[in-house]
Amino acid sequence: MTTATLEKQSPAAGPSSLSSAPRPSPAKSPLLLIGLDLGTNKSCLMAGPPGSTDITVSKVVPSVVGYVKDGIVDGIITGNARILFGEEALSQMLHVELATPLAEGVIAHPEAARDFLLHIRQLADPTGHAEIRAVVGVPANAGEGAREAIRRSAVGIFSRILLIPEPFLAALGYRDDSRVRQPDYVDPVVNSLFIDIGGGTSDLCLVQGYFPTRDDQISIPFAGDSVDELLIGELNRTYPNNGMSRITLREIKEAHAYVGPSRKPLDVKVVIGGKGRTLELGDVIGNACNTLIDKIYPALTTLIASASSDSVVTLLQNIIITGGGSQIRGIDTVLQKRLADDGYENPKVRLAGRDYQRYVAIGALKAARAARENQWQVLLG
Amino acid sequence: MSALAEALHRFDPPWIEVGKIYRRICFLRSEGLRDEAQRIEDGEFAEAAARARDATASGEEADSLLRSLKAEEGERVAEAVAFAEVLVPMLAAKLPHAAAAPSHAPAPERRKPKAAARDARGIADFIDDMLEQDRSAQR
Repeated sequence: MTTATLEKQSPAAGPSSLSSAPRPSPAKSPLLLIGLDLGTNKSCLMAGPPGSTDITVSKVVPSVVGYVKDGIVDGIITGNARILFGEEALSQMLHVELATPLAEGVIAHPEAARDFLLHIRQLADPTGHAEIRAVVGVPANAGEGAREAIRRSAVGIFSRILLIPEPFLAALGYRDDSRVRQPDYVDPVVNSLFIDIGGGTSDLCLVQGYFPTRDDQISIPFAGDSVDELLIGELNRTYPNNGMSRITLREIKEAHAYVGPSRKPLDVKVVIGGKGRTLELGDVIGNACNTLIDKIYPALTTLIASASSDSVVTLLQNIIITGGGSQIRGIDTVLQKRLADDGYENPKVRLAGRDYQRYVAIGALKAARAARENQWQVLLG
Repeated sequence: MSALAEALHRFDPPWIEVGKIYRRICFLRSEGLRDEAQRIEDGEFAEAAARARDATASGEEADSLLRSLKAEEGERVAEAVAFAEVLVPMLAAKLPHAAAAPSHAPAPERRKPKAAARDARGIADFIDDMLEQDRSAQR
């Protein structure tokens, strides 16, 4: 499908002739705002009306679309649906062709991306009547091509859009707005360094009270998926013909991932060829995850070096890890120790915490609520 | 009738696509983004026009449709831009906050964290900075 999109600042009440998109009339349709973390493996949606702090929808959805195979017997798929999404698609993987809309943080399968965004819209607004404006997170330093691919996929689904780098949104989401004016509260938006480790990319970003410039952000195409690849390679070398699926492997990784010194023995029970086996995966998992540290660390020190001398000491106290990678055991302490061993002054690396999957989307929804009318980009169809 | 609805009545789908892409090219040119417009004209537009031409009975008819679409879309965009140029200042006068034109805002300066803390800048100010950076990158 070819769609026409245009990144253009909309006038305060954009004349309808500027856009041929069949947008709902604001007078008739309620306005709904969406914050969307469009992730390679998982996406998070937060939705709510403007002018309030209410959140009407908060969901984490695996970023996967399942196209039902031809010839599936009636009744196998609920409602005889032709397309399934997220967990439902994964649970029916025998009966569907799975497609992942994104790879390395950017849209790789436009048709699946469009179907997935339609699903997101349906989740946010089951009635289908609302005018939807979305703030969507993009990897730090995402190029114009990657941004345009998102806009194209969203034409006719969202009326307006804003694309904002994910680590900055993570900082906004992590910020506790109720405490910003308290003297003892360290506002992460004022001086921090965010490390957002997702499926496709690891994004690092200096957040120092102004919008990060391109020099303040580093995106590395090495993250959870790359660790999976290393794990598969190591596993096949150690246990040839193990027959383990990528999904099983990812589950094992999420349950046992760690960095730092070897944690042997790390026995994992798996079923191979229908038979139960116990595999010792201490080194396999440790080696793969430690590679992630080796990739991130140079980017981390590069950003620290770029901070001004009068801010760097406080900055070192506010290094925050979020995203799925924050669940790797020991990642905070290993990075902190490495910084300390290299002579950095009293570094403190923290994990964002239990809402690690949601901070980008929370920040995106905050941005959507704060955006001025003339900051939204109209999607032209 | 909207431009899209009108086009749906008058043209077959392949030509509607051509019109949409050409409209985007016209918009980009009106914004001064000539390189980007040329890139789209040489690539996406040329491909869509070729598809539309294949779906048309004769080359003569295709040439005629293409000329017609280009003229109409060019005119439509020029009118829209002129309309916006008149309307935006009027709205800006009535809604000074909402219509603050970021394109005229000064480029963001790299600021020290302490200064930023004193200023307590809002999220919308950050978005202004971001949009200004995007525009600078495109220039």
